[in-house]
Amino acid sequence: MKRLVPLIILLITIFGLAYYITPKLPQQTELRPLGEFYLKNSYFGDYSAKSPEVVTSILWDYRGLDTLFETSVFFIAIIGSLTLFRLNKKQEEEAKQKAEEFRIGLTLIIKSVTRVIVVMILAVSASIALHGHLTPGGGFQGGSALAVAPLLIIAAYSKYALEEHGLDKTRALIFRSIGLLGIALVALVPLLSGGFLMQNQPIFPAKLGGQLVSGSLIYYNFFEFLAVGAGFTAVFLLLAIPEKVFKKFLRREANE
Amino acid sequence: MSEILFYLGAVMITIGGICDLFGALGLLKFPNFYIRLHAATVGTIGGAVVPLFGVGFLALGADFLPHKYAIAGASFVTGIIVLLAAPAGSHALAYAAHKTKIVKWEPKCDHLEVEE
Repeated sequence: MKRLVPLIILLITIFGLAYYITPKLPQQTELRPLGEFYLKNSYFGDYSAKSPEVVTSILWDYRGLDTLFETSVFFIAIIGSLTLFRLNKKQEEEAKQKAEEFRIGLTLIIKSVTRVIVVMILAVSASIALHGHLTPGGGFQGGSALAVAPLLIIAAYSKYALEEHGLDKTRALIFRSIGLLGIALVALVPLLSGGFLMQNQPIFPAKLGGQLVSGSLIYYNFFEFLAVGAGFTAVFLLLAIPEKVFKKFLRREANE
Repeated sequence: MSEILFYLGAVMITIGGICDLFGALGLLKFPNFYIRLHAATVGTIGGAVVPLFGVGFLALGADFLPHKYAIAGASFVTGIIVLLAAPAGSHALAYAAHKTKIVKWEPKCDHLEVEE
């Protein structure tokens, strides 16, 4: 009985809130000044981002430098983990040698389901990133979703399956660098035509071929998508190296 | 037509809530790992896939909703992904637990043992 008392109190509180207090709250009929400011600086106005998704347009437009530094914090974290797991060329080649116990992998059911789901995840993550200026989401979220695909392949097959198909740590780092370079270049482009750093609207076209692309937002989202997805993939590939292999390297270094 | 879809969706979301409750109860009360895995799958298929499809039907049936096709499409795609991933995931868990023999069990019949 004593255990039921908190449950009953909780239920009474929830139903009380839902049925008695919520209808009595005053209904908002006009725009608050803050909301007006956000609308002016995201969708309407000459210098806004022309994006109906307010969060993205704030993040990559007039709070752009903030986001740039947040992105750099994430990349410093990735570089830190790459440094922790640093290997020289010979050791890297050796880490790519398939160990005997990874020959079989998981069962047929898991492998075929993974094959289907990886394709779907790629499509969903691309849609999250490329619709970042229209719907909730954006480059970082899309990139995180993209990184699930190699993670699933590592779990169902092995990291060697990824490397045999050409996606090794070096390639992932190259993709990540392309993404970073793209973000930096898009940020610097307005300086050429007399704007300020990370300026969006009068410089980048708001529409391409009748489609709303919100100026620079779609480029930032795409490059962030590439950089985050590839950065996570590089870390996952390093984490997937069996502990045994690492211990072998360490022991050899200690002997020398 | 849209009203039928709306109520169908609402019923499916309710079923999802009930399945989640039963899944949670089963996870607490069932005796061993494999039967608990069954309760967890009730929670993911009944408690995530069915209500996701329900949200899709409800959005299709709700005429007052802006962007209803986007919401419905997103929930159907998510539902299909979970529908594919959840059984494979629980299968992988059961397979790994059986293979490594870290879970104690007294089976009445063991098909995997016969195959090996």
